[in-house]
Amino acid sequence: MALVEPGPTGVKTGAEAVDAAESGSDPVMVETGRRLGLAFWLSLVWIGLIVVAAVFGDLLPIRDPEELGIRTREVERFEGPGRNAWFGGDGQGRDLFSRVVAGARPALVLGLSVTVLAATVGAAIGTTAGYLRGRVDAVVALLVDIALAFPGLVLLVAVRATYGNSMVVFIVLFTVTSIPAYARIVRGASFALSEREFVDAAESMGATNRRVLWNELAPNIAMPVASFAFIGFALVIVAEGGLAFVGLSLDELTWGQLISEGAGDIDRHGHVALIPATVMFLTILAFNLAGDQIRQLYSPREVATQRRLTTIGEHRPRVGDATLHVADLRTTLHTPNGEVTAVDGVTFDVAPGESLGVVGESGSGKTMILRSIVGAFSLADVTRSGTVDVTGVDMLRADDGVVRKTLGTRVGMVSQNPLSALNPVRRIGDQIVEPIVFHGVAAPGPARARARDLLRQVGIPAPDRRMREYPHQLSGGMRQRVTIAIALANEPDLLLADEPTTALDVTVQDQILRLLDEQRTRRKMAMVLVTHDLAVVRGFTDRVAIVYGGQIVEVGPTDKIFRSPRHRYTVALMKSMPDLALPSHSELAVIDGSPPSLLDPPSGCRFAARCDAADERCRTVAPELIGAATVDDFDRTAHAFRCHHPVPVTVGTGDR
Amino acid sequence: MLILRRFGRLAIVFVVVTFFTFFLLDRAPVDIAEVKAGLNATPENVAAIRAELGLDDPFLVRYLRWLVDAFQLDFGDSIVLDGFTSWDLISEALPKTLELMILAEIIAIAIAVPLAIASARRPGGWIDRLGSTSAFGLLALPSFVLGIYLSFLFGVQLGWFPTIVDDLPSIFSDPFGNLRQMLLPSITLALNLVAVYLRLLRSDLIDTLQEDYVMLAQARGLSDRRVMWRHVLRPSSLNLTTAIGLNVAGLIGGALIIEVLFAINGIGRLAIQSVILNDFAVVAAIVAILTVAYVVVNFVVDVLYTVLDPRIRHGAR
Repeated sequence: MALVEPGPTGVKTGAEAVDAAESGSDPVMVETGRRLGLAFWLSLVWIGLIVVAAVFGDLLPIRDPEELGIRTREVERFEGPGRNAWFGGDGQGRDLFSRVVAGARPALVLGLSVTVLAATVGAAIGTTAGYLRGRVDAVVALLVDIALAFPGLVLLVAVRATYGNSMVVFIVLFTVTSIPAYARIVRGASFALSEREFVDAAESMGATNRRVLWNELAPNIAMPVASFAFIGFALVIVAEGGLAFVGLSLDELTWGQLISEGAGDIDRHGHVALIPATVMFLTILAFNLAGDQIRQLYSPREVATQRRLTTIGEHRPRVGDATLHVADLRTTLHTPNGEVTAVDGVTFDVAPGESLGVVGESGSGKTMILRSIVGAFSLADVTRSGTVDVTGVDMLRADDGVVRKTLGTRVGMVSQNPLSALNPVRRIGDQIVEPIVFHGVAAPGPARARARDLLRQVGIPAPDRRMREYPHQLSGGMRQRVTIAIALANEPDLLLADEPTTALDVTVQDQILRLLDEQRTRRKMAMVLVTHDLAVVRGFTDRVAIVYGGQIVEVGPTDKIFRSPRHRYTVALMKSMPDLALPSHSELAVIDGSPPSLLDPPSGCRFAARCDAADERCRTVAPELIGAATVDDFDRTAHAFRCHHPVPVTVGTGDR
Repeated sequence: MLILRRFGRLAIVFVVVTFFTFFLLDRAPVDIAEVKAGLNATPENVAAIRAELGLDDPFLVRYLRWLVDAFQLDFGDSIVLDGFTSWDLISEALPKTLELMILAEIIAIAIAVPLAIASARRPGGWIDRLGSTSAFGLLALPSFVLGIYLSFLFGVQLGWFPTIVDDLPSIFSDPFGNLRQMLLPSITLALNLVAVYLRLLRSDLIDTLQEDYVMLAQARGLSDRRVMWRHVLRPSSLNLTTAIGLNVAGLIGGALIIEVLFAINGIGRLAIQSVILNDFAVVAAIVAILTVAYVVVNFVVDVLYTVLDPRIRHGAR
């Protein structure tokens, strides 16, 4: 449930950032290595003042807190705050400042004793429970239920009636009620810890036990406890204050009692209640702030990430009748670690009925190309430039409503994981009907009939029953069929498929691809098929674009590229595919190294660091896309590549 | 099946809580018979009352007798107030506390949900920063401190609301007059909840916003509003629902303080009064009622859960 889980390093590389944005799982960036801020030190100063008041209250040159003004004639009844009495006087002419100072001691004694005792006992219980699981958990859950339902009031009544309302009784009472919270925190921390690999890693690297304890366990258990200790301290003060307020607390002078005394005169002499109330509030705030600041030390806080989508640059009208026209598209993610250009000057188009494959490793930016077309980036600050033209609509600059309408009626999208592509709490029928009705394509009644028909078309038996079911009642393959049905709901001209079979069983993969292919042919849709699987590309696409480091490094008709790849990355990719090994390079190879950081891309060829043929020029001069597929001169059938030392054309293949 | 299991669990909670309450009250060194007999009672009087109340029976017998009676809403006579049964006193006080709590929940949800949505839409934006900071501050404000602030500002300085609830008209016969008095206490009680609910829902909304199905809903050209209300809010509201249920116990504690501050004659004040006067029959009755309330609310939450998440209904989770 936590918004951000602390990662192993907390620092993301460019490729990781793109991966995160692509998977959509964790685009909220984190930063670590922070130090305690000003708020923490201010809180400590206030807490320090309270401690001084508690410890040296008797020695301070102030009036006796119980001395009545009637006797001394120094403080008037209900005297306002001023030079004579800083906080004024109460209803009996007692100096309020002295009384507030006197109230610091019971607050501190109670808070400190309870915190130390409860943390110690809670830690002991928590560590034990952290290693016992299963049945223990069920019992603990029931106990928690009972503890939560059990009225603290009754406990208080019984204890007060039996043992009186001395400080010791209250310390015991609050300790007993605080222990579960500490136990839970320690249990959670040690639970998580036993599953973390770094403890094992530290041990295997020869660290002594004491070092492991000090470096790993201490911060991971001690920090949450220290953080909660401050907050728990505040909770004790609040609880005591509440009881004092209703007249059931300690037989000592406490802040809660002061507030209670003043509350009756709030109409005429507000200061008598407001001043102790404010002192109490500031104290609680100080403890909470201190605890929160410590918590931020160990749990990386989310950095403000604006969800923003901006467009810069000019639109270039499409050439010809392409359904999708993308020209010099550039997508930049503004992350706390810097700018990540996930799509870097991409140009391609797709004609009606045509299928374009987009291939690359994970982190290459291939999914970001699709996201850039539809403009869906969940929580990120993104700038797009260049042209995305769908059936004549400028998707980057047109009116919001026009873009939505185009997305809803001209574009269909299928995503990678069918398990997460459907809303788990809505019926399948409703999810198919929604875009039809929302975009005014059909009324709810006819839309349902259409939804049933769509389910039939994508090969789902008993559509009437399925309409009423929820996604979890269907298998992965069935769910992907439903996603396709939704994508087809408004008869789109363009289908964007993002690794539609990656998450499916091998046996189902082919069925889904055939279904997509059949629908594309029948409906004359343009399709962009993003995949990392070259076998899929060869079987189901007319043309292919190979993506690396956010750029298209090679593009052309599928058969041409498979016959005679020119870019060395393309060749490396093919060599890594078992069934596609080229005749001359029959052994299987993996590509060494990893994709370049898009935070700080290399100045030369992006593949240079992993390329056998790279020389000094490759490392310094970025190669242009050689071929005809430029923005100004668009030739759909051209075979273009971005390489200084292209692989020679295989003799006898008849390529150009 | 699931509902039955939950029901059994909640029954256990009820029996355990009432048993321990009874046990603790029994241990207290206060002789109910002496309290009831009054100051001038002779030992014979006390013995007669003890026999009449069955106080000499073994503990378990007395507990079981109390439990059986309790199911018929018979919690015995008030020990202190002659001529009143515990139920008389409770049924008089309960509606006010109920109204206070229900109003507080409504206000809290009405503020927290839109604020959480606005915050989650732009994490780190000004609404989010303002909301998070306020929530942090509110969590540091005990209800009696907050109540004093609000009563001073809106009651004394601005004079919009009375600072004391006095002769409260029924909400059904005079809703305006009733709300004029109850609004300030309800808001005081609600603001702490706002902080809790806002934090919880905001973080769950942000998690849900990153789900694939939300991205796909956006890619289908649905409006932001529709995506938020139809696709994001419901799957994000499960933890909030749990929190609302679990908060009932805390809310009762909060209501107690609010009732004292604003002089509302509700269950909380009755409980404190009974505690101070050692009216244990009323204390035990109140505990039983509150436990039932807690148990019932959590049962309703469980049922609501299955409505909100079909995966639980079908046992898929």
